Amino acid sequence: MMASMVANGNRDGRQGEALVLKGVDPETCMIVFKNHWAQVVKILEKHDPLRSNTSSNMASAVQNYVEHMLFLLMEEDAGQAGAMGPILEFVVMENVMERLFLWSLRRQFTDDMKLEQLKMYEMIVGQARQPLLHHKPVLRPLMMLLSSCSGTAGPEVEAELVSLLNQLCCVLAKDQSVLELFFHTSEDQGAANFLIFSLLIPFIHREGLVGQQARDALLLIMSLSAENQRVAQHIAENTYFCPVLATGLSGLYSSLPTKLEVPGEEWHCLHREDWLQMPTLVQFLNSLEFCNAVIQVAHPSIRDQLVSYIYNGFLVPVLAPALHKLTLEEVMTTTAYLDLFVRSVSEPILLQTFLSFILLHRHENVHILDTLVSRINTPFQLGTVSLALFQTLIGLYCEDVMLQLILRYLIPCNHMMLSQRRVVKERDFYSVSAAKILALTPSCCSPEHSPPPLRQLDSILWSKGTDNKTEESFLEEDGSGYSCVIGSEIYLDVNYLHYLYNARLGISSCTRACQVWSAPYDGEDPPPEEYQPSALEEAGARGRQAQTVNPKRSHPHPRPRPPCPPQTTDPAPTNQLELEWDDSYDAGPVVPPEAATAESSRPPQPPAAEPPKHIQEMRRTAIMLVKGSYIEESDFQDDVMVYDLVAKKDEDHFKVSSLQEKDEVPLSNGLSLPPHPTNMEVNSLEVTKGSKEVKAHVADHNSNLQSPLATEVGDDLMDQYEELIRTLGSDEAGTGGSSHVKTVDKEFRNPVVTPMEEDEVDFSSFSVDTPELEKQHSSLFGTKLRSGSTRSHSVPFTGPFVSVLLSRLENMLDNSLHVNLLLTGILAQLAAYPQPLLQSFLLNTNMVFQPSVRSLYQVLASLKNQIEQQASTKKDFPELITSAQHCLLARESSLKGQDTNSGDSRECSPLEAGRMMKSSPPPQPKTISLARTEVFATVLFTEFLKELAAIAQEHSILSHVPMEE
Amino acid sequence: MNLNPFWSMSTNTGRKRSDGEEQSGEQQQQRASPARPSFGKKQLPSIPKNAVPITKPASPAATAQLANGTHASYGPFYLEYSLLAEFTLVIKQKLPGIYVQPSYKSALMWFGVIFIRHGLYQDGVFKFTVYIPDNYPDGECPRVVFDIPVFHPLVDPVSGELDVRRAFTKWRRNHNHIWQVLMYARTVFYKINTMEPLNPEAAVLFFRYDKDVQLFKSKVVDSVKLCNSHLFDQPKMDDPYAISFSSWNPAIHDEAKERMFSHKRRPEDHQKGLPVSGLSWVKPGSTQPFSKDDNPPLS
Repeated sequence: MMASMVANGNRDGRQGEALVLKGVDPETCMIVFKNHWAQVVKILEKHDPLRSNTSSNMASAVQNYVEHMLFLLMEEDAGQAGAMGPILEFVVMENVMERLFLWSLRRQFTDDMKLEQLKMYEMIVGQARQPLLHHKPVLRPLMMLLSSCSGTAGPEVEAELVSLLNQLCCVLAKDQSVLELFFHTSEDQGAANFLIFSLLIPFIHREGLVGQQARDALLLIMSLSAENQRVAQHIAENTYFCPVLATGLSGLYSSLPTKLEVPGEEWHCLHREDWLQMPTLVQFLNSLEFCNAVIQVAHPSIRDQLVSYIYNGFLVPVLAPALHKLTLEEVMTTTAYLDLFVRSVSEPILLQTFLSFILLHRHENVHILDTLVSRINTPFQLGTVSLALFQTLIGLYCEDVMLQLILRYLIPCNHMMLSQRRVVKERDFYSVSAAKILALTPSCCSPEHSPPPLRQLDSILWSKGTDNKTEESFLEEDGSGYSCVIGSEIYLDVNYLHYLYNARLGISSCTRACQVWSAPYDGEDPPPEEYQPSALEEAGARGRQAQTVNPKRSHPHPRPRPPCPPQTTDPAPTNQLELEWDDSYDAGPVVPPEAATAESSRPPQPPAAEPPKHIQEMRRTAIMLVKGSYIEESDFQDDVMVYDLVAKKDEDHFKVSSLQEKDEVPLSNGLSLPPHPTNMEVNSLEVTKGSKEVKAHVADHNSNLQSPLATEVGDDLMDQYEELIRTLGSDEAGTGGSSHVKTVDKEFRNPVVTPMEEDEVDFSSFSVDTPELEKQHSSLFGTKLRSGSTRSHSVPFTGPFVSVLLSRLENMLDNSLHVNLLLTGILAQLAAYPQPLLQSFLLNTNMVFQPSVRSLYQVLASLKNQIEQQASTKKDFPELITSAQHCLLARESSLKGQDTNSGDSRECSPLEAGRMMKSSPPPQPKTISLARTEVFATVLFTEFLKELAAIAQEHSILSHVPMEE
Repeated sequence: MNLNPFWSMSTNTGRKRSDGEEQSGEQQQQRASPARPSFGKKQLPSIPKNAVPITKPASPAATAQLANGTHASYGPFYLEYSLLAEFTLVIKQKLPGIYVQPSYKSALMWFGVIFIRHGLYQDGVFKFTVYIPDNYPDGECPRVVFDIPVFHPLVDPVSGELDVRRAFTKWRRNHNHIWQVLMYARTVFYKINTMEPLNPEAAVLFFRYDKDVQLFKSKVVDSVKLCNSHLFDQPKMDDPYAISFSSWNPAIHDEAKERMFSHKRRPEDHQKGLPVSGLSWVKPGSTQPFSKDDNPPLS
């Protein structure tokens, strides 16, 4: 039939015909067309398929005629001034198309017939030289055909249908005047208003070419909707487009593997080559990408509806529970998916939907964000995958994300001494911070062995000017060279130039991105005062504070610190501050009852707008645990065992390294770890060792507390913990472990809070100019500052995210290489943000923070000490470091060479490294195992210092250049 | 920009520039960071060519660190960045009639020119060089030397050096900045101080201003004339970034001038071209995420 003609390479046929037709005058064509039609009509009239069996002869005769007729129709040019050509006019007048369709319909309307008809229309719609669809006699039979194809049909018909629909949408997109007709015609049919659209919807989530064509066609209509209110309204109000899209996501999500086969320990996020191997994930991403595209082009009403359905139909009911599944693997998998989704979405509004889900949604009363943050501290892959997710989030340059993660804790400026608020915006003119950071370079990694004479006027410069050529040659060489001689006097770490260059790129792009932010976050805007806790809370805090003053701890270790203006040494806040989280160690059984009470009664005390989430969450976690929602799961039991082991291992490690802080939580399933493991630990400690005591204290102080209800909760919590620990039968391990912790705790309390030696060294060395600054400030601005007494007494807290990052960083020497790469990467990313609040907190080493606030610098200093200790006890340390450097270089080269690396060899051969570096020394025969984390961490630490210092230096220039440049 | 229409600034490099100092600032900074493709976040140093593993742990911080705790090898970086920071500060100040740019060869030497717009020295265009001590910011204050000794009580008639030290007896880091020196160099031509002059003749003449007013004035006018007559001379320093003047050449300067003015007029357009990649749904004045009004309702 006609299909054969179409199928047999209609292009060639058509061109052949066109050549034939060229030069044939329109009148002749018209006569031929009419003749053919007369023949067809004869057959149609004689052989009504309902009455008599149409012979195949007749059918093929009709086919032949129609074939020719359609060619003639297609090749006809429009008449003058857009009038119909004579053939088209004849088609319209004689209702040719409809009669042909009805004839087909009266025969057996099989899939084959449908296919023929569809192909016929596809051909004439796609290739006609004049608009055909404007004419009802052409359009009506087409619509009838389409609606007859809806519902069940074979895959071939479906494919053809979608292909035709796609073509119709293309026509629509080019010529909107047809749109009205589409609406009207379908009304005539009594079918859904906008048939071609409705027909496409079932194919939205289809895989393969059909799905792709359908989605492309729908996108055309979506962009149409942006300009056409009627289309938009119809789609939003009369179709299930948005719900189908959103619930489809849920459906596709449910077919994703719940546990990923993780290629190796190093794996932390789904790369392209990972998900390309997973057809279900590819399909999901296709649909997600489609949602993204729809949101990009569609009318706002459709957009908003879709976004809302995605939120309420996919994120909340599907993804949120999936993030709270029972096993580590499942949760890890969901987190990796979420990370991939966030990376895949580009349209701001859709991204916003995902982000507001992450930042604001509460699942079982816990913010998703808090849960995710707390998981950073879990061992194994979940922690790493969570880190990777946050790397993605931070890389979005999104104000809302940064606000929730960090900035809102910094806005009140409670983390710094009052006098320091002025310093927030100050610029580090002389790279003092960079110098202090670099001064932490471990002696075993020090770049220079023979420091050359410094400060020779002419050698300051990177040998600019006359010896241009030599300079260039050294820059080219430096791939293999280590340090270079500049001005023949000074050895420079060329590698540091690269860090500077990268820092510059990072900061510039971040600064540019942040231009859309609502505030500069410079310690003045948003004003710190406005985001202090309310007066009522403040009163409460003061009341509690009165009780919580612990004379023993009021000034455990006066830190060497530049003199501060008198108002900042107001003792009241200091005491209050002592309760911050580092000191929570002190709340263990060894401390006086008051402190313990303070700890346990802390939950109801809101330090800032919302801050004590970590505490609330801890409470909730505890309650959830106690409710048994997780306990009966055998998977969970396994997890508990694992965590226990990890915890014990950590404790063992405590004995060795003196500046270690305990990170892992012994009794948690890791699914909703509190952001403050220390708190949790303290609690479990209290329960196992001195629960009765604690309870008694709680009872004693109940009457004094302003919020008895809250205390009851706390009290309850203790009971529940006790209960929990018993049911878990980990008594032995628990008590054993906690006694460890106790002794360890005693040992390390001080160093953790204040790394004394470090402070002495550093403050004396670089704070020379600080007193002068201070003086200047106090004289100039001291009067303007509010006095200490009016200051709100909220607990300075830089937020769970920062805490958890820093505590993981503190474990750097035990972390595997890839964890450290992620960690330092995230911190460097954060440091590149231009907001003075963030910059001053992370990079300004001159800043004086509240004693309870741990700074990045402090953690780095403690790491340096750990490294120096290692270096002094292990004889082969320098040698190992060289091996590790070789190994890392090889790794980097291979990463550079081939992006697709799944190689995670446990052994790293320097031979490999040697090959990579063309002019490197003969490779040393020594291999180093990646298990020597402390060695790799040392190398990485040194590089990280350079990275941070470079960022600090670039900030001192870039962040202060006026915006218009 | 208030350029005298007869003059235009260009540098020896012959590059057209829309704005002398700002442009040069960029250039300067670019030089500081070599344009090398970067890969990865961490960059490990290559192993030294003759790397011998240190067999015994180096005595901590003995050789590698200076007295102030900084690593020796980073000293130049600190100095360079301090000077860059100073330079960006100069740009920020937008000192009227003063233009400077660091030399190509050394960040410690800046070329400058000052335009005097009214007062006794009106129409004076004085080129100068700023010399910054290499132990900056812990040394003496920077020196300012005029290319041609201007007739002025505080300018040495032989060397052309301006007496800066009287204003900055002790250079204090964080407190004193190079822009202040430049500001001072400008001020001396508007408010004339004769105390302890470097040029006693000028001081004396000025001191007896009432009587020798004409004499002093004529000396100043002569000096200004002399300076301006040498304006188109080759710069004293052979440095690509030295400031040199050439007569107005429409082929070069019209376009630059045009760009300069159009840039000032439409700063927003300039920014529109840049793709903004950041995100924010925070309503100004709020610290709540997604507080902007145009957020689509999610539930």
